[in-house]
Amino acid sequence: MRTKDENLIEYIKNPDVVLREEDIDGALLFNPDTNQIKVLNTTGLFIWKLCEKKHNIANIIKALKNSFDQVPDDKAAEQVKSFINEMKESGFIGIIKDQK
Amino acid sequence: MRAKNSFHIIPTPKTVSISITGKCNLKCKYCFYANEMEGLKDLSTEQWLNFFKKLKDLNVMDVSLTGGEAFIRPDLFELIDGIISNNMRYNILSNGTLINENILKKFEIGKRRLRLDYIQISIDGSCAEIHNKSRPNSFDRAINGLKLLKENNFPLAVRTTINKHNLCDLENIAKLLLEDIGVSSFGNNESMPIGSGCRNEKEISLSSKEKLKAMRIIKKLLQKYPGRLNAQAGPQAKLKMYAEMEHAKKTGEKSKTWQMGYLTACGCVFSKIDILHDGTIVPCCMLPGLKLGNILNDDLKEIWQNNKIIWDIRNRRKIPMKEVPGCEDCEWAPYCNGSCPGMAHQLTGDFNRANPEDCYRKFKKETGGIDAL
Repeated sequence: MRTKDENLIEYIKNPDVVLREEDIDGALLFNPDTNQIKVLNTTGLFIWKLCEKKHNIANIIKALKNSFDQVPDDKAAEQVKSFINEMKESGFIGIIKDQK
Repeated sequence: MRAKNSFHIIPTPKTVSISITGKCNLKCKYCFYANEMEGLKDLSTEQWLNFFKKLKDLNVMDVSLTGGEAFIRPDLFELIDGIISNNMRYNILSNGTLINENILKKFEIGKRRLRLDYIQISIDGSCAEIHNKSRPNSFDRAINGLKLLKENNFPLAVRTTINKHNLCDLENIAKLLLEDIGVSSFGNNESMPIGSGCRNEKEISLSSKEKLKAMRIIKKLLQKYPGRLNAQAGPQAKLKMYAEMEHAKKTGEKSKTWQMGYLTACGCVFSKIDILHDGTIVPCCMLPGLKLGNILNDDLKEIWQNNKIIWDIRNRRKIPMKEVPGCEDCEWAPYCNGSCPGMAHQLTGDFNRANPEDCYRKFKKETGGIDAL
């Protein structure tokens, strides 16, 4: 039931956040409101770019599996949720919609 | 054409320092910008706002607003709002004299306060008599501005430019700033022979012996106020640099914080670029004569990535001190970094030289070096 609830929530990037792709291996995000910087690896950058448009967790995991090799079924969901949660709490992304 | 083995650089600058006006209500004795203030015309509000949109496209993170005196522009807050709406933070370097309660109220609108990193005020003396010798007729207003910022919990920085007039007042300045007004720390540098500092060099620039005296006072102040004085240039910075050079020469243990033996000083051109008040793009405010283009006509990203002059300054890091003219036979060459390219250019006409103002061989010869402290 918890999974179903989570998939009703859609995420989108904070439009004020600045993305700097400084390296081929990743990028950094800068939140000008909080002065916080977050370094992203290639997977994090991929998720960030997905959040240009609204996506739920299931969509993000599906897109990751389509684009990256060897995404572990058992750990992917947990890691994506953890990443999204951290990004949400630090204001880099926000919730756009909860259809409940 | 770029040098063959260029450094990896970030695709666009993180920080842009902008002189938004050439107008100033003061005439400081060491103003490095004095020559540029005469003859160049300020860009309009619209021109700066258009430029800020371009900075957003380059993902620039923060903008430093300088002058002249930034608060002299009647459209300052319109410019600040332009910076904010283009997703950047900002700071302001000011003489503090135009700051009043009405100005502070304007910072409370929208995200002006949220996106402000700090306002820096210059204080050169503990009293009007000393401060006004280098920054004429401004002490009371500058202190008033500083106190207002402090009382209203603004993020602030204070800069003291050490010169002949205030050398003996440094301890009083530290007391005024750190104890009486209660700022958390203050920065210091020294008057340099550039701009009006060049014309007034004899009156205000420190001699080697005075620099040593400044170091002695700063050493004492650092013991009294640990961590509350900071410097990127001037006696405090040189004290640290010279101590590391002496240590490296005696032990063979080189600095872990900077590369000795190469022209490695100054990281500015790797993350920051400067704009003069008429839109001229320069590598650094200390190199105002090296014009790379103008924001009205030229592509800042193209200049950042491909301009020959900016790459030549970056590539000076590859030049061993032993190959720098004038330093070939110096016993300190394996431990030196040549210091500021801007001052080297100003004093020798070539940024690929060492800055004569910071030469430890000369300093040691004239003072006995930091062992004399």
